[in-house]
Amino acid sequence: MAVAEPFVVPRPAWRRPLSLDLRAPRTWSIIGASLFAVMTLIALAAPLLSPHDPLVPVGIPLAAPGHGGFLLGSDSIGRDVLSRCLYGMRASWFAALVVIAGGFLIGGLVGLVAGSSGGWIDNLLMRITDGFLALPAPVLAIAVVASLGPSFTHTLIAVSVVWWPFYARIVRGEISKLAARPHVEAARLAGAGRVRIALRHLLPGALPAAVVTASLDVGNLVLALAGLSFLGLGQSAPAPELGADSARNLSLLLQQWWVPVVPGIAVAVLAVIANVAGDSVRNLIDPE
Amino acid sequence: MSAQLAPEDVLTDEGYAVVATAEDLHVTFRRNGKAIHALRGISLEIRRGEILGLVGESGSGKSVLGLTLLGLHGAGATISGRATVRGRDMVSATDAERRAVRVAHLGAVFQDPMTSLNPTMRVGRQVAEAAGSDEEALRLLRLVGVPEAESRMSAFPHELSGGLRQRVMIAMAVAGNPDLVIADEPTTALDVTVQAQVLRLLRTLRDELGCSVLMITHDLGVAAQIADRVAVMYAGRLAELGESDAVLRSSAHPYTLGLMRSRLTLGVDRTRALPALPGEVPSPAAPQPGCAFSPRCSVAGPDCAETSPEPVEVEPGHHSACLRPLAVVRSTDTVSPVALTARAEPAGIDQDTAALSLRSVVKTFGVGKGFGRKRTLHALRGVSLQVAQGESVALVGESGSGKSTLLRVAAGLETADSGEVELSGGSRPQMVFQDSGASLTPWMTVEQILGERVRDLGRAARAAKVREALSLVGLPAEVGAARATQLSGGQRQRVCLARATIVPPPVLLCDEPTSALDVSLAASVINLIARLRRELGMSVLFVTHDLSVARVVADRIAVMYLGQIVEIGASDRVTSAPLHPYTRSLVSAVPDVGLTPVILPGEPASPLNPPSGCAFHPRCADATESCQDTELGLRLQRVANDDVDRVACINIDLSHVPTPVYITPKGA
Repeated sequence: MAVAEPFVVPRPAWRRPLSLDLRAPRTWSIIGASLFAVMTLIALAAPLLSPHDPLVPVGIPLAAPGHGGFLLGSDSIGRDVLSRCLYGMRASWFAALVVIAGGFLIGGLVGLVAGSSGGWIDNLLMRITDGFLALPAPVLAIAVVASLGPSFTHTLIAVSVVWWPFYARIVRGEISKLAARPHVEAARLAGAGRVRIALRHLLPGALPAAVVTASLDVGNLVLALAGLSFLGLGQSAPAPELGADSARNLSLLLQQWWVPVVPGIAVAVLAVIANVAGDSVRNLIDPE
Repeated sequence: MSAQLAPEDVLTDEGYAVVATAEDLHVTFRRNGKAIHALRGISLEIRRGEILGLVGESGSGKSVLGLTLLGLHGAGATISGRATVRGRDMVSATDAERRAVRVAHLGAVFQDPMTSLNPTMRVGRQVAEAAGSDEEALRLLRLVGVPEAESRMSAFPHELSGGLRQRVMIAMAVAGNPDLVIADEPTTALDVTVQAQVLRLLRTLRDELGCSVLMITHDLGVAAQIADRVAVMYAGRLAELGESDAVLRSSAHPYTLGLMRSRLTLGVDRTRALPALPGEVPSPAAPQPGCAFSPRCSVAGPDCAETSPEPVEVEPGHHSACLRPLAVVRSTDTVSPVALTARAEPAGIDQDTAALSLRSVVKTFGVGKGFGRKRTLHALRGVSLQVAQGESVALVGESGSGKSTLLRVAAGLETADSGEVELSGGSRPQMVFQDSGASLTPWMTVEQILGERVRDLGRAARAAKVREALSLVGLPAEVGAARATQLSGGQRQRVCLARATIVPPPVLLCDEPTSALDVSLAASVINLIARLRRELGMSVLFVTHDLSVARVVADRIAVMYLGQIVEIGASDRVTSAPLHPYTRSLVSAVPDVGLTPVILPGEPASPLNPPSGCAFHPRCADATESCQDTELGLRLQRVANDDVDRVACINIDLSHVPTPVYITPKGA
């Protein structure tokens, strides 16, 4: 037309060079979000970081923190509390990530299908989702473990069953909001089919909300799984697990407090790290 | 209520000539770390009892000026200069002082009464809250012309029509006899006939109450209808200020001249391309060392980019901020000479081949969900329309007329309940939407979006095709890498046109593609659609609420009311010699310089419950007893056995077609 002005496409935020300006809120969000990676690395490296084998008694029982070569003390049969906590954190962390990944995939798929089809498919899928949402997590976990036998895998299955519906709802909500936008009709007129519209014109718009939810959810799951483990619905006896270690040694609380308390503190630390990281991810994705 | 002014602070009602002033007012916001210069030094005064029209395109700062005068500029803004109301500075005042000034002296009306009214509160109580008592509220509702005001007092906002809601807002604004009512685009969301009513109401209220009105609008026609004086803003500064007639009829600033020449009226020469201002409004984030308009101005020199012009008096009471002498400005064509080329001969229309034909299309929607009573919305009540190969037809009507539904049925986005839709060649039509931004997938690049229509091509061929389509709509190839949010409104609409025409469709469907654009951009998009239509040999079906747009884009205009076509005919004939009483009132409601509209009473009836007989009879001045006959069976009838003009009205003499008044180019 009239004047062809030079047109320069600005870089999207995530392609801009990393700045280390500590006054910028973005820098702190990036540091916070990287806690996810740091924590995953610690979990992976637990065998290297642990001073002792978590399953084998290596010294005097009930040594106080700092004594007998135990930084955080030893338990009633002389195993290293620090090593058991590191292994326990590793198990909790990966369990939380597995449940979230499962919920994200199953829930995301259900939500995507429901939101992009609409009509009776939407109604049917969402009523099924509501049915699952109504299940109480601990009761279901007890039921699953009671019928299938105690096993960590069974607990994870039970938690996953009650966890995915949240993702289905969030993804479905985002998708149906997007589906009302004219860009979907424009894509239809451009000749895109249902699957193409769902994957190219709807799904990418729902991902930010789902990722934010998932990252804020890690902390919740760490706590939920620790609670189930505390009730004895986690891994079986010798395996190091934070909730179970705390529960089994509760009788020592007044004399050798570190044996039940240190695993509890480890759960809290894990949940705080997950929440800080989740908040940072939210700030990065959705600064409002 | 709120803080009261101390008795000595209350200025006497007598003896003031100026209600409000802005004195070298600068307002800067920070958004995403960027400084947004909304106002860059503006000075003006609002006189007692006058209506000042504040006109500008989006981003001109006109709304920010209104908010600053109201003292609602927010804590995040950096402000220098003064904005006084009855001598009290709203910039430096405390919150309590500002509130006291608002209560005593100010009233406000905003664009969307639905969001300005409290949805959980009955309107009577809301007005009474501003007015002080129920009796006063009732008096105000009667004053602003709310019919059956007693019963409407207990209605919730959502139970009122848009026009009534805006009247309720106006009643709240004039409660307590303010000295100044600030009206920010109060009629933009309303239908044309309702807009004319509200404009008249504001004027009458001013005459009766003696208050001043600051009328903020993007529409020069609206300003011309109502304002005593007009201030034209551009990029946060004042471009021109003076008596309405002086500013609009003998403009002194190149920007106002360009706006006046590029704005669409019923008198535009429709045989040639519309004059369009080149370029776009500058970003409010950009620094403006000189005259912000200079990049778009045809009389600008190198000095214009460096010196920021102050408004000077060019004629008595008429100010313009331009470095060039008045004679130079007026003698030069300020609009792009490129755009003034002839639109060439009309596109080749093949009257015998129908590109799109709709026969007796009926479409209803069920509304009301869950346990509520299900009701039927009659969107289309038997519409037949043929669009010939290469022809352009405009569908004109107010909200609820079914014009957009008809377009969506033609696009295949909705399925008709009954009737036939036939497309020649069977290939899909393409559509351009009103909200161009929302019709582009936000996370896809322009190249990916355009590529969706040519997926069967190889990568290199696709890229070449996209570049070609972009250049056809006048966009550089670099736009291909951008996403919708990185483009301006005009660029987005061009991208949408590029998507529609990358593989030329037989029919291009346009749903109000220009109504969200500024005046200067709308003209260039309309020119572009006309050029594409000619070059690609497409038919166009164009939905608009604006008759002056319809007249320019279309060969024929079909006027719709409540799901039916009430009149169809050649554009010039429909707009200059309308037959149907509804078309007549639509034509007269188009706001323009030097025209007094004929006010049509009432608002469009609800398509949930269309009136019996002729749906228009409750609002029609010529209606007779038989017009409401349920057995009327009203149909479009030929006028004088003419094939082009048809009208659906029993009171019209069908023996001859009135002679259209063709607009001849000025100076020809």
